[in-house]
Amino acid sequence: MIQVTTVSLNLMNMFKRNFHCSPVVSEIQPDILIHIEEGYGVPFVNYEVEIIKEANQICFRRADYLIKVDSIYQNARISVCDELALKHALIHLYSSYIIYKNWGLLLHSSCVIENGKAHIFAGRSGAGKSTAAGLSYPRELLSDEATLVKITTDQITVFNSPFRSELAVTGTEKCAPLASIQLLYQAQQNKRIPLAKSAGLLELMDKVFYWAHEPVETGRILKFMRELANAVPIYELYFQKNHTFWELIS
Amino acid sequence: MIDYYVRKNQYETIQLDGEWIILNTDDYTITQLNAMGGFCWSVLNQTQTLQSLIQAVHDKYEAVTETVEKDIEAFLSDLMRCGLLKHAS
Repeated sequence: MIQVTTVSLNLMNMFKRNFHCSPVVSEIQPDILIHIEEGYGVPFVNYEVEIIKEANQICFRRADYLIKVDSIYQNARISVCDELALKHALIHLYSSYIIYKNWGLLLHSSCVIENGKAHIFAGRSGAGKSTAAGLSYPRELLSDEATLVKITTDQITVFNSPFRSELAVTGTEKCAPLASIQLLYQAQQNKRIPLAKSAGLLELMDKVFYWAHEPVETGRILKFMRELANAVPIYELYFQKNHTFWELIS
Repeated sequence: MIDYYVRKNQYETIQLDGEWIILNTDDYTITQLNAMGGFCWSVLNQTQTLQSLIQAVHDKYEAVTETVEKDIEAFLSDLMRCGLLKHAS
């Protein structure tokens, strides 16, 4: 559970629109407490993040946001310029948090449920992650931008992601076991080619939302990736911009 | 003069289907090795020369051609360039 405090009505409304919120229950200790404030920096300039490590704190600074989190991820302070900065800062903090907790990864991808199984669509920027998710309707979506993957030695599970770009939450199921990963390429013909595990792993490494600052955690990501590549087939998917690519997946 | 080589650090390494992936946590780069490259990496846990590495490969794989010797020489240069190896004395 994440507890959020802010004095900004704008930011609180953004939270209520995008996340499942409930009033604070005093007896329950949150896993992480986040205080959010406005008035920081300038609107989005680029994705460059400066990382400053101090004795008991890590700072992630971008032109439009500043995150300060203690070294055990119990208390964080996010200062932002606007709503976009807040969304990116939350993805940043949440991704770092679940890696620190050895829980799993946030992957830059979309994810769709088919017959109770989750299928991830990843790719470079503009490859068609959101397009593939949109073309998958009426199948349920677990994510259209940032896929939340829990990784254990015996199971890979995708949870409904709270971080959405444009497509509304449709999934009534809260999670599904991961059945496949597709690396997307738009093409004239549909084609699905299995990748060697190591090649798939290398393709996926830069799809993790992570800003390297701690060798131990980067090593943890590599181990997560090994579990992922061992448990789930990874494919190159060349797809036409219609729903027929699903014939290759189903 | 003989050059000696050894791993620069004990970097995180994983194996997948016979291939090796090494994570250089000093500069956050990844290097992929085939099975023979992975074997060479494993013996570079201890200081090696080009000749001792060729011998180790010969002992492991028996047939070592002149091409393989050149490959091992290139392998050492590549891993030096990737920052995974250092010269040892």
